[in-house]
Amino acid sequence: MSSKKILLTGTVLAMIGLIWLGAVYWMSFFWVSTEVTQGIAQRIMYVHVPAAWTSFLAFGLAALFSAVYLWLRDERLDRAAVSAAEGGMVFATIMLITGPLWGKIAWGTYWTWEPRLTLTLLLWFIFLGYFLVRSSTENPEKGKRHAAVVAIVGALDIPFIHLSVIWFRSLHPEPVVIKPEGPTLPGDMLTTLLMSLGAFTVLFLGLFLLRYSLENLRSELDTRSRHTSV
Amino acid sequence: MWPGTQDWGGWLTSVSVPAHPEADEKSSTNPVLRAQGLVREYGSVIAVDGIDLSLAKGEFLTIFGPNGAGKTSLLALLAGALRPSRGQVWLRGEALDFGEVEWHRRIGVLSHQTFLYGHLSAEENLRFYGQLFGLSDVDDVVRDKLQHLGLQERAASLVRDLSHGMRQRLALARALLHDPDIVLLDEPYTGLDPSAALVLQGVLSDLRDGRRTVVMVTHNLSEGVALATTVAIMNCGRFVWQGKRAELGNDFGQFYHGVIEGHG
Amino acid sequence: MRNYLKQVGTILWKDLLVEFRTRERLITMGAFVVLVAILFNYATDWVRVSPEDIASGLVWMTIMFAGLLGVGRTFHLEAEDGAFQGILLSPVPKDAIFLAKALANFVFLYIVALLVVAVFIFFFGLEVGSNFGMLTIVIGLGVLAFVALGTLFTAVSTGTRMGDTLLPVLIFPLLAPVVIYGTTATSQFFSGRPVTEAEGSIRMLAAFALMAFFLGSWLFRFVVED
Repeated sequence: MSSKKILLTGTVLAMIGLIWLGAVYWMSFFWVSTEVTQGIAQRIMYVHVPAAWTSFLAFGLAALFSAVYLWLRDERLDRAAVSAAEGGMVFATIMLITGPLWGKIAWGTYWTWEPRLTLTLLLWFIFLGYFLVRSSTENPEKGKRHAAVVAIVGALDIPFIHLSVIWFRSLHPEPVVIKPEGPTLPGDMLTTLLMSLGAFTVLFLGLFLLRYSLENLRSELDTRSRHTSV
Repeated sequence: MWPGTQDWGGWLTSVSVPAHPEADEKSSTNPVLRAQGLVREYGSVIAVDGIDLSLAKGEFLTIFGPNGAGKTSLLALLAGALRPSRGQVWLRGEALDFGEVEWHRRIGVLSHQTFLYGHLSAEENLRFYGQLFGLSDVDDVVRDKLQHLGLQERAASLVRDLSHGMRQRLALARALLHDPDIVLLDEPYTGLDPSAALVLQGVLSDLRDGRRTVVMVTHNLSEGVALATTVAIMNCGRFVWQGKRAELGNDFGQFYHGVIEGHG
Repeated sequence: MRNYLKQVGTILWKDLLVEFRTRERLITMGAFVVLVAILFNYATDWVRVSPEDIASGLVWMTIMFAGLLGVGRTFHLEAEDGAFQGILLSPVPKDAIFLAKALANFVFLYIVALLVVAVFIFFFGLEVGSNFGMLTIVIGLGVLAFVALGTLFTAVSTGTRMGDTLLPVLIFPLLAPVVIYGTTATSQFFSGRPVTEAEGSIRMLAAFALMAFFLGSWLFRFVVED
């Protein structure tokens, strides 16, 4: 795919994602019914859960692109990896902000050691390391390689972190834990959640492609300035 | 000075035996060390920008050039320590993949860093590297090398207690421990006192035994030219001049500066 | 294969010999451990908590920080006169280099980890009793996991401008499972519960250590490449 096409696809997807997201907001404010026990605060779920899902998708993609980058050493794979990782950071941050807000209202504390919340927090730090490593080597190519290693180890560590934090909670049960999602969700809430998942995913893919085109342009600029300076 | 007592691990026979009889003829004229289109980029910086070279058995190539010309990067590419951004290196006609450990078995590298451990004795250092290279008769080889370089008295001394000249001699012994037939020297004269330079000089001329192929990078114009069979001048990642030593006039210093300035 | 093991052994032996001569890492780590235990004594209100309640967490955190101190120096002596470059230019597979460096780190950190346990038993009167053997195994598995990731990421952080300061940011989030399973198993030993209760944790620690070694051996080559 040519770089123009990628840019166009990214723009279109991002636009669709934004409009779709507007529809989701409308649904979650005016259409969906209010949950009985938690009241209005439960509507944070329509942002929180899709943000978590999108950040996991993004980090997974970043690790996948990183692994193939180490194998094939194609610069484009590294650009894709960093674009996905940045998207992952954004959505993980959204998840980490909405989680405590919801938690404070729903069960009175900002932070609970809820496994998915903990996992996302640790992932956020793993990818903070990814960006720190990337930007702190003299030789940028080395930074890319090292960052790829961080992403791969991070991704393969996820199952262990996930199992251990779930298992930790089973040993130390939380006082009140309400499981908001799952098949027990009433129909209109499920519809809104699925709509939101779709909107976030499409928005992420659009942003990812836009970010990827930007990275392409940057490297092109780099090459051009190098040629003029020689 | 460097008796070929080491076991070659049979690689001469096992690796370079040609598949066809007519190829045999070819392999004797084939270059030992060949590189084509070698490029190495560090991000937006190009250190090595398209180097071609071809060296036969017994050739001694000296590379001169100003700082930052890419000489050290080129040596690292030939040594298999640096992954080429583009281009390929062949040893005896065999294309080499980066990360192929056999590459290192055939090449000896001496840099201005000694690669030695200060807290190990001279003998322990050599034994350590001898074992890494999988030499079958480490004890004999180490003893011979120490004797050759006049270090047998200090064999048990920690390297940190040795004088700089002795360390440099030991570094030479380390580089040639596995009797490589390709030797890469990265500014071996850096930081040497006159007596150590003399020892180095002797060892380097012994390397011209017709059996080995040597590539040396140096700032020392007179020594570099005296040893060379082939000379290259490198600037901005490229060979700006390359030729036989015989083609050079009397005043190499003037010629060198002419070439560099003419290029700049 | 035999040659491979011989090369691993050669590098491992060299590291042990150099450490034996300098004692650089063992002394700093050992002193750190004892001093931390002394400070913990004053940082804790022993009227309100009993040692068994918090010892296992303290033991593991002390091991983690001491490990950071020791593992961060893995390539320090190697860099002195370019010696690591010398190893990279030898016909040794990169995974063999990784294994040797990680195992050397294991030896140092395991000694220090056992010292941590001894210090906590000595200072705080912990009872380990018949579970001591299992305790050493659990700590050994945790240390294995630590040194595998620690060695890999020390190689990463050594190559950056930030150096050792980057190391905890890189490895602590990854080591969360080791702390969780490690402390759980250890606290069961300290409170005198039967070994069988810790079986799940031990299995997870072993699996984690295995994965960490696999990843380290595979990825190390991409880190040491220039």
